[in-house]
Amino acid sequence: MTINLNFNKKSEKSAKIENLSRRSFLKTAGLATGGLVIGIAIPTQTMAHGKKIEQAAFNPNAFIHIQENGDTLIYCGRCEMGQGISTALPAAVADELEADWSRVTVKQGDADEKYGPQATGGSASIRRMFIPMREAGAAAKLMLIAAAAKVWNIPAEQCIAKNHFVINSNNQQKLSYGELASLAANITVPEKPALKAKSEYNYIGKALPRHDQGEVVVGKRIYGVDTKIPGLKYAAITHCPVFGGKLKSVEKSAALAMKGVSAVVEIPRFDVPYGSIGGVAVVADNNWTAQQALKKLKIEWDLGENQSYDTQAYKAQLVKNVESPAQVATERGDLTAAFASAKQKHSATYTGGHLSHSPMEPNASVVYVEKDKCEVWAATQAPAAIQDVLSKYLKREPKDIIVHVTMAGGAFGRKFKCDYVHEAAVISEKTGSPIQLTWSREEDMRTGYYHSISAQHIEASLDNNGNVSGWLHRIAFPPIDSLFNPATDRPSKGDVSAADDYPFGLANYRSEIGEAKAHTRIGWYRAVYAIFYGFSFSSMADELAYKAGKDPLIFLNNLYDANEIVEQKEQVKRSKNILALAAEKSGYHQRANLPKGQGIGLAIHYSFQSYVAMAVRVESDGDNIKVLQVDCVIDCGQVLNKDGATAQMEGAVVMGMSLALSTEVTFRNGAVVNSNFHNYPVMRISDMPHVNVHIVESDIKPTGLGEPGVAPFAPALANAVFAASGKRYRDLPFKPMTV
Amino acid sequence: MDKLININGQNFPIDVDNDMPLLWFLRDRLEQTGTKFGCGGGFCGACTVQVDGVATRSCVTPVGILAGKNITTIEGLSENGDHPLQKAWLDNNVPQCGYCQAGQIMNAASLLKENPKPSGDEIDSAMQGNICRCGTYQRIKKAISQAADELAREVS
Repeated sequence: MTINLNFNKKSEKSAKIENLSRRSFLKTAGLATGGLVIGIAIPTQTMAHGKKIEQAAFNPNAFIHIQENGDTLIYCGRCEMGQGISTALPAAVADELEADWSRVTVKQGDADEKYGPQATGGSASIRRMFIPMREAGAAAKLMLIAAAAKVWNIPAEQCIAKNHFVINSNNQQKLSYGELASLAANITVPEKPALKAKSEYNYIGKALPRHDQGEVVVGKRIYGVDTKIPGLKYAAITHCPVFGGKLKSVEKSAALAMKGVSAVVEIPRFDVPYGSIGGVAVVADNNWTAQQALKKLKIEWDLGENQSYDTQAYKAQLVKNVESPAQVATERGDLTAAFASAKQKHSATYTGGHLSHSPMEPNASVVYVEKDKCEVWAATQAPAAIQDVLSKYLKREPKDIIVHVTMAGGAFGRKFKCDYVHEAAVISEKTGSPIQLTWSREEDMRTGYYHSISAQHIEASLDNNGNVSGWLHRIAFPPIDSLFNPATDRPSKGDVSAADDYPFGLANYRSEIGEAKAHTRIGWYRAVYAIFYGFSFSSMADELAYKAGKDPLIFLNNLYDANEIVEQKEQVKRSKNILALAAEKSGYHQRANLPKGQGIGLAIHYSFQSYVAMAVRVESDGDNIKVLQVDCVIDCGQVLNKDGATAQMEGAVVMGMSLALSTEVTFRNGAVVNSNFHNYPVMRISDMPHVNVHIVESDIKPTGLGEPGVAPFAPALANAVFAASGKRYRDLPFKPMTV
Repeated sequence: MDKLININGQNFPIDVDNDMPLLWFLRDRLEQTGTKFGCGGGFCGACTVQVDGVATRSCVTPVGILAGKNITTIEGLSENGDHPLQKAWLDNNVPQCGYCQAGQIMNAASLLKENPKPSGDEIDSAMQGNICRCGTYQRIKKAISQAADELAREVS
C-alpha cells in the first residue's frame, strides 16, 4: 500500500542511535531496565493521509535490549501481518550485533510516538529500515567490545565479537553478552559504526525461519481476535448496507430480552478517516449470543445518496469515460504526429472490479474505555491512526490512548483502517465494560473498504519497424483520496503517475483522466493501483507484439531499449534482466514444443521500487483455464530473508490468481451482493500451480516485497491464455461468479 | 446435571445454550483460542477440529450434540507440538500470518488418519475446504506429504 509515493523520491536522512540504558522514559515505554538498551531513530517523513510528523529530539523506532542474563529483546515498531517483517529486520540487527539468533526474542512495540510512525504499508519497512537497524546492531556490538576491552585492559582491536560472546584474541578468553551488557551501558555510542560486508553475514540473505512459527503450529500465537481480559463482554455489529446511509430506527426489545444480552448500542457515523460508517451493535456474554441477538433487531435504514450504486452500470460508464477524450494529465513528444504516421494502430480497454481484502482474521479488537484510561488491543497496520481517531472521539490526548499491537491474521491493507477499533471504543464508552467487537465475515465483505473499480483505454501506434511510436492512456477509477476528500471525482495526476512514469519511457505519450466518483469506501489493497496498471501495460505490450508479428519478449525488450529517459536507465536494465531470467527459467524459448493447448505468457511490473517478472504456463481452450506453473523472478536489491521473499511471491501468485480469475465485489442497489467465501470465491489448494521463485543476486539497497508480486500475475496469465488459445481476456476477473 | 464434552482429554460440562457452535464454546466459554473464527458458515475451514478423530467445522457444529464426544483441537494434537504435521509445518516454514494454519493442520491430521499416503490429488480434495489468503498452499501440500512419509517410517 502506498501512503505517499513522493516520499520515495526524497533523500533519506540517516538514523540516529542512542544509548538509552539510563533513560527514564524506558519505563514509560513499557521496557524493563538493566543491561544495555540501544534505541534507533529512523527519520520518517510521512504518515497516514500525508500528515507530517515532526520528530522530537530523539524518537527511537526500535530498541535492542541485551539483558543481564544475555537474553536479547529486539522491539520492532512495524506491524506484523504475515509479511515476515518481525523476523527480517530483527535478524538484520542480530547479524550486525553478532548475536546468537536463538537468544533473541522479537517483541512487537505498542503504539508509541517514541517509535516514530509505525504505519505499515507501501512495502516500505525494509527499504527504510535496513541500514538503520543494522547500524544499531553494529553500535551495540562495538559497545560490548569496548566493555570487554576495558575488563581485559587491552585495545578493542584485539577483541572479536562472535555468537553472543566477545573473545580476547590473545588468549581466547570469553565474556558473554549478558556479562557485558551493564558495563556496555556506560560506553559512548559510536557514531557511524562500520557495517559488515556481505560475505560476513550470518543471517541476512539466508532462509531464516519465522521467529513465531513454533507458536503458530500449536495454536498459541495470539491474534487481535484472541485477546481476553477480565470482565470482557462481546459485541456483534451490523452496518448500514449502503455507504453514506444512516439509522432511521431500531426495535431492540426482542434482542434485549435474550438471556445473556446486556445492551444494544447505536453507533452514529463518525466522519473522520477510519471512523465508523455507523451501525448498531449488540453486547452479550459471548460472541454467539451477540450474533443471534443481532438478528432479532428490526432496523430501518435511511440508505442515502449511494443507494443506486450498481457496479455493472458503473463499470460500463467508466468504460465510456475512457473511450472518449478526457482530462489531459501528462503529454510527451508529439502523439498526434505519431498516430498520423502510424503503420498500424491498436486499441484496447481493460477493466477491473472492486476487491475485498478478506483476511482470514475478521476485523476484531478489544477496547476498554475508562474515565482516565483507554486501552486497545488490536491487529492493526496503523497504531497511531487508532490513537488519532480515538483521541478525536473521546476528546483525549493521543498519547493517552494505549494501543497494544497484536499479530494480524492477514491484513492486506484492510487493517490500516481501524473503524472496528473506533466502534469497540464507542460500545465500551457507552456500556462501561471492556468490549471485544468481532465483525462477522458478512459485515467484512459487505461494509468494508474496497480496491478501486477501474477502466483503462489504451491506443497505441506501431511504426514501419513494428515498434511502438505513440501511446494514449486513459484512466478512470474512484481513488483512495475520496476517503479524505469526498468531493474527489476522479484520480489525481499523482494517481496516474505510475502510468506516466512507466519504464517503457514512451516518447510520444499522453495520459488522460476520466471521471470516477466514489460510491463506497475505497482503500489500499495489497499492491493498490499496481494491480490495474500492471494488467494494462503488460497486456497491451503483448497485444501489440502479436499485432507487430513479433515475439513478445523481443517486443518488450525493444520497448525498453527505446527508453531514452536517463533517470530510468537502471529500471530498464533491471527490468530486461528479470524478463530474460523469467523466459529462461520457464522454458519460454522452447514454448513451440509445448503440448497443444498450452501456452506461456510473460509480464513484468515495477512497483514499490522492486521489480517482479512472471512467466505463467497454462493449459487452456480459452474458456477453461488451468494454471500449471509460474516462474517468478524478483529483483529487490539485497534480500534479507530468502525464504521470506519466496513466501511473499508464492502468496502474491495466489492473491493474483484470485483477482485474475474469480474475485469481484458486486454492488446492486447501493449494497454489496457478495456475503461470504461461497460467493467471493478466493483461490483454493486445488488451483495451486507449481511456483518457482528466482531471486536476482544483488548488492543494491534492499526494497520491499509485500506487494510487488501481485501485479504481474494477472497479465502474465492473460498473455498465457492468449498464447494457448487465441482468446484475450481484458476484464478482471476473467471468470466472475454471477452473484 | 450438565452433559459433558471431552476436549483434549479433559471433561467439561456443556453449560451453555445447546445451539452454541463448538467454536464459540471453545473460544469464549473455555477461552481456548487456538481454534479460529474465519467465516461462520463452514466455508473456510479455519475452525476445523476433530470430533472422534474426524475433521469437523466447529463454527457450524452445535455443542449440544457433542455430549460424550472426544474433541481434539490444535492445542491437543500432540503433547509437545511434535506431531509429524507440526514438525513438517516448521520444516517447510509454512505459516505466513498463520491464522488459518490450525484448521489446516487439524484437517490434514484427519486426512492422514484415513489415508496415510495421500496422492497430490487426494491432498487437494481433502484440503479443498481450507482457505489460506496468504497463499501458503504449495508449502501445505509439501508438508503433508513429508509428514505422511515420516508417519510411514514410524509405522515400519
